[in-house]
Amino acid sequence: MLPMILVRLTQKKQEFEVPGPRRVMDILAQAGVRPTTVIVAQGKKLLTKDHRVEDGETIDVISVVSGG
Amino acid sequence: MKCKRCRRAEAAVDLPSHHSAFCPDCFFVFFQRQVKEGIRKFRLLAPEDRVLVCVSGGKDSLVLWDVLMELGYETEGLYIDLGIDGYSERSKEKVLAYAASRGKTPIVVELAREGIPIPEAARCARMEECSVCGTVKRYFFNRVAAEGKFTVVATGHNLDDEAARLLGNLLHWHRDHLSRQHPFLPDAGEGLVRKVKPLWRVSELETASYGFLKGIDYVTEECPMSEDATSLVYKEALSRIEDQMPGTRTVFYQGFLDPGNPLRRAPEAQLREGGGKEREGAGTVEAGTPRACASCGAPTFAEVCSFCRLRERVQKRREQRAGRASG
Repeated sequence: MLPMILVRLTQKKQEFEVPGPRRVMDILAQAGVRPTTVIVAQGKKLLTKDHRVEDGETIDVISVVSGG
Repeated sequence: MKCKRCRRAEAAVDLPSHHSAFCPDCFFVFFQRQVKEGIRKFRLLAPEDRVLVCVSGGKDSLVLWDVLMELGYETEGLYIDLGIDGYSERSKEKVLAYAASRGKTPIVVELAREGIPIPEAARCARMEECSVCGTVKRYFFNRVAAEGKFTVVATGHNLDDEAARLLGNLLHWHRDHLSRQHPFLPDAGEGLVRKVKPLWRVSELETASYGFLKGIDYVTEECPMSEDATSLVYKEALSRIEDQMPGTRTVFYQGFLDPGNPLRRAPEAQLREGGGKEREGAGTVEAGTPRACASCGAPTFAEVCSFCRLRERVQKRREQRAGRASG
């Protein structure tokens, strides 16, 4: 099986795969996540929403919304 | 995408609301400038201030502490252990680890030791957890600040928090709350120390980006007591608007703070009118004049401060339960 992009939704402890290459903003749209509510990281790097992610790479989607 | 400031490095943070994108180094410059401008605009802090920074273990408060230290302010952290199983331990760990990494030891107040852990207090007093939490935190902010001779208390409320609060106040026409909402609440004397919100110009996305890029390890889970918080509904509504019209949140909140806005009064005027946050309805004495609580001596605008009234309700309920159990 060909490697795909692994997307981890850190707070929800969920993950899914999408075929690459694909822009961060398109991955977020597919996951139903609004871009102003998250930061997207790859290791210790932050990615801009137009960054193109390749097959075999992993990204973390981290919610920035705090409540209370 | 290249950084719009240095035009050399790859951008890491894109900010449509500022029509900009920054590499990590340039983002730190941008972020600190935003905080400095927020402090300057309303004279939130003076160089000689001793700042008590209230830290929860979340991104905003730890980032606030970090940036205030970077800007050269004399700071100490205050962590209030709310007594929430699991969550409080994990948040405290983050605070202690961050503080240690900066050579600091935070002041820690444990509500279980004070006899008023939030979950039990809310059950006994039959009040919302967030409401109880607010009363208890305000009490300890003032008490610790007075005991430690701090000149100001700083909290990590950001632009999203304040815009959401503003939307809620407007939707319900809470005119009294609207008139008091401001990043600066003046010193009311008698131990009611000045309270400031230096992050009022920066968004949650910006504080999260700053925290991540600085390697600040913060607690990412939400307080289990705040799952149904109405502020999340207002944040959701505003972020939908922000996605379509970047910058609207900033215009909304900054426009509200405009001195010419008739919906709000200047902080000094609120004080003259007794509009401090701790002002209470029942037993209010002379408007705008805090006095010592008849029970604990803490500053209050009522005969007995809201913390003591809460503690009394909790105590009574405990006694009733103990009576039923033994009877």
